[in-house]
Amino acid sequence: MTRIRQRGPAAGRERAAGLYIHVPFCASICSYCHFARTAEHDAGLRRRYVRAVVQELELRRRACPSLGSPGRRLATCYLGGGTPSVLEPDLMTELLAGTLGALPRTGDIEVTAEANPESLTTDLARSWRSAGINRVSVGIQSLDDRVLRLLGRSCDAGTARRALQTACREFPRVAADWILGPGMTRGRLLAELTEAVDLGVEHFSLYLLEIHPGTGMQQAVAAGRVVLPPDSEQEALYLAAREHLESFGVHQYEVANFAREGAESRHNRNYWRRMPYLGLGPGAHGFYGKLRYANPGLLQPYLRSLAAGELPAATLDPLDLRARRLERVILALRTVQGVPVAWLPAGFDPGPGRDQGLWRLADGRLQLTGRGFLRIDTIEEFLAGMVERARCG
Amino acid sequence: MAIDLQQMRNFCIIAHIDHGKSTLADRLLEQTGTVMGKDLQAQVLDSMDLERERGITIKSHPIRMMYDGADGRHYMLNLIDTPGHVDFHYEVSRSLAACEGALLVVDAVQGVQAQTINNLYLALEHDLAIIPVINKIDLPAARPDFVAEQFIDLIGCDPDEILMVSAKTGQGVPELLEAIVAQVPPPQGDPEAVPQGLIFDSIFDPYVGAVAYVRMFQGTICKGDRIRLFGHDQQFEVGEIGWFRLARMAEKSLSAGEVGYIATGAKDVRTVRVGDTVTLVDRPCSEPLPGYTVVKPMVFSGLYPVDNDQYDGLLEALQKLQLNDASLTWEKETSAALGFGFRCGFLGLLHMEIIQERLEREYDLNLIATLPNVEYELLLKTGETVLVENPALLPDEREIQEIREPIVLAEVITPKEFVGPVIQISLERRGVQRKMEYLDIERVKLDFDIPLSELVVDYYDKLKSVTKGYASLDYEYDRHQVDDLVRLNILINGDEVDALTCIVHRENAYSWGLKLCQKLKELIPRQMYAVAIQAAVGTRVLARTTVKPYRKNVTAKCYGGDITRKRKLLEKQKEGKKRMKQVGSVEIPQEAFLAVLKVER
Repeated sequence: MTRIRQRGPAAGRERAAGLYIHVPFCASICSYCHFARTAEHDAGLRRRYVRAVVQELELRRRACPSLGSPGRRLATCYLGGGTPSVLEPDLMTELLAGTLGALPRTGDIEVTAEANPESLTTDLARSWRSAGINRVSVGIQSLDDRVLRLLGRSCDAGTARRALQTACREFPRVAADWILGPGMTRGRLLAELTEAVDLGVEHFSLYLLEIHPGTGMQQAVAAGRVVLPPDSEQEALYLAAREHLESFGVHQYEVANFAREGAESRHNRNYWRRMPYLGLGPGAHGFYGKLRYANPGLLQPYLRSLAAGELPAATLDPLDLRARRLERVILALRTVQGVPVAWLPAGFDPGPGRDQGLWRLADGRLQLTGRGFLRIDTIEEFLAGMVERARCG
Repeated sequence: MAIDLQQMRNFCIIAHIDHGKSTLADRLLEQTGTVMGKDLQAQVLDSMDLERERGITIKSHPIRMMYDGADGRHYMLNLIDTPGHVDFHYEVSRSLAACEGALLVVDAVQGVQAQTINNLYLALEHDLAIIPVINKIDLPAARPDFVAEQFIDLIGCDPDEILMVSAKTGQGVPELLEAIVAQVPPPQGDPEAVPQGLIFDSIFDPYVGAVAYVRMFQGTICKGDRIRLFGHDQQFEVGEIGWFRLARMAEKSLSAGEVGYIATGAKDVRTVRVGDTVTLVDRPCSEPLPGYTVVKPMVFSGLYPVDNDQYDGLLEALQKLQLNDASLTWEKETSAALGFGFRCGFLGLLHMEIIQERLEREYDLNLIATLPNVEYELLLKTGETVLVENPALLPDEREIQEIREPIVLAEVITPKEFVGPVIQISLERRGVQRKMEYLDIERVKLDFDIPLSELVVDYYDKLKSVTKGYASLDYEYDRHQVDDLVRLNILINGDEVDALTCIVHRENAYSWGLKLCQKLKELIPRQMYAVAIQAAVGTRVLARTTVKPYRKNVTAKCYGGDITRKRKLLEKQKEGKKRMKQVGSVEIPQEAFLAVLKVER
């Protein structure tokens, strides 16, 4: 199996950029999902959407000439959703040709698309491959029917297995997501991960289930139809999975991400490294170094703006020095390389956290342990409070 | 203003909080035409927002009214609106000393309260003519006959001497004005004699410096005269002299019997002390007026900015407040836990609350206030006596021969059904019951000796709660007294937090330490580390609790490159942490520093 090696640290780092395209369509809505997505769509709407995204790129390029400059090359592209795999193959080809195809790229560009198991057929996979997609991320969540039902997923375990097999056969790089939540046990999780590793999955994302207000999952939990395992069990699942994957040579490289050496998601890793990226599509986010923007999440207003030849009214988030410092700390904290101690706020004493096993200090960096990753929100909050008090601005 | 002494009346109004003193003053001003139309707003004399909001008077507000009496004569009435609260006891006594009469105002629903009685005794000490007034007779629940009986018991007046008034509707106010003219004696004094004036309040004016509020007893002081203040033995030239309407009205002179002001040009209000006597440098009176003392703060608390950047702002604000408040004291203090701040001295609890509230509100400061404390007198083994007002500065136990603490005489008036609970909460706070007497068939007056340190913590709140708000409290410093007191230290993750140190009775140290640890455990939120809380006397740990660290707490996926959401969330959480102080590696909320206030006995 071909592996795309990680590029040397200096190569193109300054000038690389990413592209994120949000595909807001789903065949059905998962009960825990709070992203921009809709289950009501038809071929016409999907076509209008693809044309609108291509149009958005054109408008953004006109507004920002450096986007199209040959010096700045796309190193990664990520199609997320929603469910990119619900797009017809010809629409996907058109979408990539009009966006990716219109921008200068590096030779070894990583192009990832998310797929849900039920739509990942061999035909689709081959069509994606010829459109340039070389990495697929499959939303597995579990290989157990009962767990999938609890999560409100529409596919069954058999479909999920077949999708993994197809993905591993057709794509050089395969990633899969798991959710550590209701119904999941330690034994089941470890067996499922072993199965996926054996099939050839090289990258795993493990998410602790989050309950978002307004989702079906929140109602189900409130009504007692779904019982969440206690925190201690979810913690144990996370730590066990981490150790288990490590034993296969699948290392943790970020709070929720695990990969074989060199198989890390370059696209996602660039988020933690604060590399620029362009975001297209409803609800997509983009970043230019001192400015972040977010497109409106609803599809119809997005389509209307672009039909009128205008960029959608994005929410802008200009970053002052303090915001940038805070970002770089909290983003680096997510990675196993950790945060350079020099970036930490003055007066921060790393002693107690080290003594309590939340992090270690190595190579002048503060690196979270597994236990530390489980408490990352609290640690971020603490550091953020100190960054604020330190008034570095 | 040439007016015969016989046609002058100087009086004040004595009332418990909320019995309608300021509203009654409004009516008097209105009916004498002193304040008209647009100037007329509720509680005209209370100029600070805080005074209006809380319905209390903090500074004195004298005002002159001209009144055409029923006898066809033209009278000058000087009303001195005084602070009503026990904390300002001394200020009240000086204001009373500037008057010949007092309106004793009692709410027709609530009846006589502790402050009414105390201020009445104070007025009687100064030989003031007392005019009993029952206010709020328009209220449906008014019990004027019942309150009248209390009056008769209290001052032995005639039923028909009691005036029935509604300050709200104005009913009975004309009769009241007539009663003032008829019953308050005119001032005595010779305008030609050596000048002698009583300073009953002072304020700082940025244009003319410290301004003394003065009641002249003898002689005349003119603009441009060289004056002398006895207390500080300071000399000033009178820059401006005059009397009060809502604003100051400049005049050429101020003579015996009159109430007015003298602008001294002094840069510091503390040189123009309440109770001091003013006279002329060239023609001095031989003796000052009686009753002058320098009031000392009774209650102390450390004030620290949550954000160290606000230290200079806090210093400036305290300096500004002190310009107008000679009784506020402060000195710089450093706490290992809280950083740089100030140890402030206050006259009492209300005074402390008012200052803290004004600092936060008027100066936009974010403060942490430590537990209120008192001044301990220590006899050291060396034979030396020292005063300590910060528990964290108490020397090692081995160096101390004895610790004496301030004891106050507390007087509680309560409906009789609450006598049991009142005694109980007083005993729990080491109070000793001195006296119990029935004021009438319903109400009882209880006197206790109680350590001030216990009183300042939560006694008043507790009293209000066990009596459903019906009890009233007054207290007065009595003496320092030896007791077996120890210093209770609180350690967080092994480090002593000086701002949480308190001084308690040895017998209570164990249960107190335990309860304090438990309360702190409730108040300190979970954090990323385990937080160990210990209470110790000396090296002996009496109690220990632990705040467990957060468990699983991973929500941020930063999915699709959405970093903004995460950062905004953190920024929002920081807002919520504004009142958290970082002590070592632990974040302690402001409430924790007052945890002792919340401990159940």
